[in-house]
Amino acid sequence: MATDQSSFEFAPGFVDDRLRTAWYALLGLLLVVGGYAMYLRITQGMQSTNLTSTTPWGAWVAFYIYFVGLSAGAFLVSTLANVFGVAGMHRIDRDALFAAIISMVVALLFVWTDLGRMDRMYHPFFWRQVTSALSWEVHAYVAYIGVLVTELYFAMRYDLAQVAERATGLRATLSGYLTLGRRATTDASRETDRTWLKRAGILGIPLAVFLVHGGTGVLFAVSKARPYWNSGLFPVIFIVSALLSGTALVVMLYVLRTRLFDDEPVDRDLLARLGALLAIFVVVDVALTGIEALIAIASLHPHELDTWGIIMFGEMSWSFWWFMVGFGWVFPLVMLSKRSWRRTPWLMALAGLSVVVGIVAVRFNIVVPPQIRPVMEGLPHGAYFPSLVEWASSAGMIAVGLLLYTIGAELLPLTPLDRGDH
Amino acid sequence: MVIDLQKCVGCDSCTVACKAENRTPPGVSYNVVMEEEHGEFPDVTRTNVPRPCMQCENPPCVQVCPVSATYKMDNGVVNVDYDRCIGCRYCMIACPYGARYFDFGENYDDEVVEAGEVTSPEYGVDRGERDGGESPVGNVRKCSFCTHRLERGEEPACVETCVGDARNMGDLDDPDSEVSEMADSSRAFQLKESEGTDPNVHYLK
Repeated sequence: MATDQSSFEFAPGFVDDRLRTAWYALLGLLLVVGGYAMYLRITQGMQSTNLTSTTPWGAWVAFYIYFVGLSAGAFLVSTLANVFGVAGMHRIDRDALFAAIISMVVALLFVWTDLGRMDRMYHPFFWRQVTSALSWEVHAYVAYIGVLVTELYFAMRYDLAQVAERATGLRATLSGYLTLGRRATTDASRETDRTWLKRAGILGIPLAVFLVHGGTGVLFAVSKARPYWNSGLFPVIFIVSALLSGTALVVMLYVLRTRLFDDEPVDRDLLARLGALLAIFVVVDVALTGIEALIAIASLHPHELDTWGIIMFGEMSWSFWWFMVGFGWVFPLVMLSKRSWRRTPWLMALAGLSVVVGIVAVRFNIVVPPQIRPVMEGLPHGAYFPSLVEWASSAGMIAVGLLLYTIGAELLPLTPLDRGDH
Repeated sequence: MVIDLQKCVGCDSCTVACKAENRTPPGVSYNVVMEEEHGEFPDVTRTNVPRPCMQCENPPCVQVCPVSATYKMDNGVVNVDYDRCIGCRYCMIACPYGARYFDFGENYDDEVVEAGEVTSPEYGVDRGERDGGESPVGNVRKCSFCTHRLERGEEPACVETCVGDARNMGDLDDPDSEVSEMADSSRAFQLKESEGTDPNVHYLK
């Protein structure tokens, strides 16, 4: 349904200027601190981390798989609207796609930082290894980002053309460039967009599920030397926890952006639908993790028992009980348990935030515990907690993502101009 | 390589000889001796198990390297191309023997004067002084059976130095070689045989 005013005001972004200043100030601070940590990381090399040869993968790898999961999850939520045509979901599909793109950018920033030789980041495109999951993953990520950008373009082009045509200023000029010259605002052009959007989405689903995030799970699961990862269920859990964190992110973004940027009431039916989806994913995630733990423990394999012992009772068990079980599962499930709560925007935003934070612990508990007990008895035991440089640089990289998202949300028609009710 | 555990006295000379030969930095030890204790007091026995790189016939580290920087050479030794390795450390995750080490760029400056001045010509490449964070800093490193010594017709440093003559170097592909005969004996075993890696380091019980 096209709007028919001849000109209109297009100014998405913070409604409250003080909030805008505070938010950018916070991001600026994080970027300065993160930038300094990054400087230390580059000048001191990997000595700036608390990694060792016993525990070679740490915080950066955990955040990398976290953001890949966030991206895959957000993308799959977007397909509910643009591939499966679930009613009332169109309002959030661009937001989900945009968040998915930014998450991938942040994920790649983390992998890059994690390389012992950051200067050789292009090597995987020159030399390959057919049997290496990582070699395949690098290419899958690039293809996936390509699909996401294509989708966002087709999802947004019609509105970009409208903004370019009817509004004035920076946003209109930018929108004009982003249409890539396809400025028609006819219904036929819109149909073409939708067709291609759906096609890209259909291509993106197997790419995201099996290659991008399932593949990231495979990367770990093929490590026979680490029995905790070496399980067929592992990549499946990766996908489910991705769906969980992605849905939570979209819920949070939807509530925050609708209230703080669009200054509109939150669509409570949509909220309740997303809430139900979130609840389902929490339950499936809990169940599969439980099955995985049972299989591991029942195997009586010393490495498995030790690793689960470390997770549940070790030095870092607080991250399992408080963050993974508490924030990731129990708290959101309680928030989602009542129908009226599922329709309360700030409660759902809180539940979303809780999951988004809790899944960070899920990723840490995937990466670190199997690298504590040495692979051979007689080799030194590991112990790992990220260094200040690792924490600060991580905060900086996350701030880069938040900044990119905020700038995008202030300039682009992420909320459909017709509010998605076509 | 065949290591006779009955002859190993656990003196760690192989570890020291290896560090001296390969000039490995702090935190990098291509060869270590793992001590295993069995039984309860007063019936306790200790076995010393030296652990170089196993130079596996089916190396999981080679399988996972995204840039093919680590590969098996014709002589069976698993090589690391320091100029190609991106330092992702996936191979360290994949190695079931913990035989791979990351070079964090540390030096023995406090212990030895001019510690980084001389480096070992690993894989036959002389990289000169260790400075400026150049490779192999930021790379993954491992035992190469002293490839640079093999090329000169010498035995690896650990084999040459072993006081009990516990280490034997030879060609396992040659069925008549001394090491092949040892590897065929009923005392012979490999570490983590069930992994399917088929190590080229055999032990004698």
